This record gives sequence, structure tokens and C-alpha cells, in this order.
Amino acid sequence: MKKLLIATALTLCSHAVLADVAVIVNPANSSAIDEGMIKKIYLGKAKSFDDGTKVNPVNQDGTSVSDEFNDKVVGKSSSQLNAYWSKLVFTGKGTPPEKLANDQAVIDFVAGNADGIGYIDAAKVTDKVKVVGTF
Amino acid sequence: MKKLPIALALCAAFVSANTMAEVRINGFASIVGGKALDDDATLYGYDDDISFKNESMFALQLSADLQEKLSATAQIVARGSDDFDAEFEWAYLTYEFSDELQVSAGKMRVPFYRYSDFLDVGYTYRWVRPPQSVYNLPFSTYEGLSLLHNTQLGDWDSTVQVIYGSFDGNIAVVSVNGDTELNDIAGINWTMSYDWFSARAAYFVADTTIDIENDTDAGVALNGLEQTLRAAGFVDQADDIAVNEDDGSFFAVGFSIDYNDILFDAEYTEFEVENSALAKQTQYYTSIGYRMDEWIVHLTYENNDDKHDSNRYNALPAVPALNAGINQVLEGVKAKSNVYTIGTRYDFHPSAALKVDFSRFKDDISDTETDVVAVAVDLVF
Repeated sequence: MKKLLIATALTLCSHAVLADVAVIVNPANSSAIDEGMIKKIYLGKAKSFDDGTKVNPVNQDGTSVSDEFNDKVVGKSSSQLNAYWSKLVFTGKGTPPEKLANDQAVIDFVAGNADGIGYIDAAKVTDKVKVVGTF
Repeated sequence: MKKLPIALALCAAFVSANTMAEVRINGFASIVGGKALDDDATLYGYDDDISFKNESMFALQLSADLQEKLSATAQIVARGSDDFDAEFEWAYLTYEFSDELQVSAGKMRVPFYRYSDFLDVGYTYRWVRPPQSVYNLPFSTYEGLSLLHNTQLGDWDSTVQVIYGSFDGNIAVVSVNGDTELNDIAGINWTMSYDWFSARAAYFVADTTIDIENDTDAGVALNGLEQTLRAAGFVDQADDIAVNEDDGSFFAVGFSIDYNDILFDAEYTEFEVENSALAKQTQYYTSIGYRMDEWIVHLTYENNDDKHDSNRYNALPAVPALNAGINQVLEGVKAKSNVYTIGTRYDFHPSAALKVDFSRFKDDISDTETDVVAVAVDLVF
């Protein structure tokens, strides 16, 4: 029993360090989405999928997954992103993606919205969503 | 009085939208404390007493998506320099034709400078205040239309903004104050950006009238000169002094870099009102910064110059003495200065930054130096 606990604890620890971020869309979404496209979506530069559907992205609110995503995919710190979006928000040129609380909220959102896109801890992926990239 | 209809229209827009649209509330604030380090000198509104009011401000933005690609936005700003009287700084409707094209109508900001649109949002830049030698036009908003077009050209983003409208209000220009009316403001602002690099150019024209007030030495001198010329029958020459329905023009170029934590910005602007006493002004700044995680350190040099030579006025060939007198008065309204600023920004919170700037302003005409130090907390919410 003790060994199991230690093993679990170790798994959790290593997991926290090595967690990959999976970018997910609705299973019905067949658009081609690469890393460049994801970056553009999360900077408000791309507003539609390649089939013309308006894209409906969601962020996570200050979670370690969002830090990881901002760092690996968007390439900006949370302060830099905040400044970037402030420039757009206060000039009427854009609105940042809505922030959801955690991985599960993002999965539910993407599963329930054909135009949704989000990112979660890669270990939490379920068959309700489709992974378009892991970073 | 003019503000009321705008406010009512926006309220109406928000109320009617209530059932079908969500209203978003965003805000930003700057709390700035500063002082001039010299006696009897004033710079950026500071004298040798510490002021926490002069550059502090608080703002709320309300925006409502009214479905069918229409949105309404209002920004209410309370500035310490206006005793925190809240004013509608922006109030406009936007219609999105497509992902690329949108039109806005209402009260907006003239995009004179790279940082114009978010001039009040200190959180978006590294200084306590953008370089004032360049960011010195005394008015910033207009009422009218703005057409905005975004496209992607390969890896480059292109943003073209075309504006048309008017402005009236009391402002300070170069070294005089006065009721100012700008009609047929028209212009274009084009920005090209590529990941870490962005460049922009802007050009605006306006039919400019300034009723110069007698509350500054330069104002008294100019008005006296104009009246003397007019009384003596030199009507054309008097018109060349007065700022009355004259062609004002403004040109700006600039670029900025944010590469491997090295930050670089430079902007150059020209401002002129033809056939008037307002000499052509050119100004520029260059600024370099370095980012170390949450810290930025920066150094900025600004320069403001007057392009007219001291004997530019030569309209009365027969009366050299009078020409000399006029040139002497015009010389008195000149402005020529430079500023060095060294500062730091610390992002101590995801939505707030602490900044300290030290600026040394040198007036090349009076050969005086003034130092100002300011500490700011900028936040967005």
C-alpha cells in the first residue's frame, strides 16, 4: 500500500513537470489546424476556421496548463499577453477568448460547441473531443 | 452639453441590448506619483511638490455586442489633472462587414502615434508616459468615422485605418493656448507587422482654426502683432500670422522591435499649419529596452525641433525693420528641446506593473534643464 502511494506521488510529481498541452476541437470539426493557426487564433488574428465557420476559442483562467500553453504555443508570458489584449480591447479591435476554470470545463465547452477550440492537460483527453496538436 | 446626447445614445443602445447581448466591463488605471527635482520649474505638470494626482487616472469601458455584427463601446475616463471628473473619452458604434473590414462611428482617438490608441492604458507600454516630445499634440479625440481593414500578407499583418471627422475644444499648441476648431480631419494610418517587428506610417490633414488667447507671453505677442499688421493695412501679412482656416498637416513614421527580449522603438513626426505663425515642428524619439523576465529596463532620447530659421519672415520687403520685429516675435514662440529618460518596469502581478522613470528635459532656447522623477502603478482589469 505504501509503495503504491509513493508510486502515485512520484507519477503525479513527474506528471506536473512534464505535462503536455493538447489543443482540442469538436469531433465534428474537420478543418486543418496547425500550430501557426492555433497561435493566430489565440492572438485574435484568425477569426474563422478554413471552412469559414467563426472560431470560438476558450482560455483557462490562470492554470498551469494555460501558462504552459502561452509559453509553448503563443510564445508570450501572461503579462505580455495581458498587455497585447489590452491594446485590442481598449481600442475596440478585439476581445480575448473567454476564460474557463479548468480542463473539464474546456472539454465540456468544446464537446458542446462545433466551433469551439481549447487546450487541456494532454492526460485528460477524452473521446468527446478531437486533438489537433500536442505541445 | 455635447456629451449628453452621446451618453444617452449609448445608454439607449445598452438598455435595448440588455435582453439579447452581454455587456462587458473592462477597465484600467494608473496611479502616478512624481515631482520635479528643481525649484521654479514645471514639467509634465509636476512642480517641486510631490503630486499623486497630476498623471493618475481611472477608466471603465463598457462594450455590448448587439448581434448582427454591431457593437457599442464607451470608455469613461477620470483624470487626476481634471480633478477626476469622468468624461466620455471614446463612445462609438462598430459594424463588422467581415473578419477583415469594420467601420466605427462616434467619438474616437485620432491615431497620430503608434501608442495613440492605448495612450491612456499605461499597462501596454514600458514608460510611465510615452515620449512627450513626440506625443505632444494637445488633442487626441475626434468625432467622426473610422474604417479599419486587416489582412494577412504571408507572415505579415497589415492594418489600414482611414478616418474622417472633426474636433473642437480649447487646446495648447506649441507655446500658445486657444479655442481650436479642426474641420475635415482626414487621414490614413497604416501598420505592417511581422511577429517581432512592426512599422507604421500615418498622414493627416485638417482645416485648422485657433483663436489664440492672451494668457501666454507668446499669445500676447502674436495677437498684438497680428492686430498691428491688420490696422496698418497689411491684411495678407496679418492672415499669415493668424491661424484661421489654414491647412494643418501631420505626418508620422515609426517602427518597433521586440526580439529576444530586446525592445526598440523609434518614431518621427512632423506637424505644420501653413500660412500661420505656428512654425513647422519636427520631433522624434528612439528608445531601447531590455526584458529580464518580469523586469524591463529602458533608455529613451527625445528631440523636438523647430524647422523655421530665425529670419523666415520676409513678407514686407520694403520695411526690413518691421520684418525683423515680426521675426523676433516668431522667434519667441519657437520650441526646441530634448529629453533623456531612464526607467524600469516590473510586472509584479499578471495585471499590474510598477514603473519608475527619471527624465531630464533640456530647453535649448532658454538653455535650462528640468528633472522629473515619477513612480507609477498601472493596471488593467
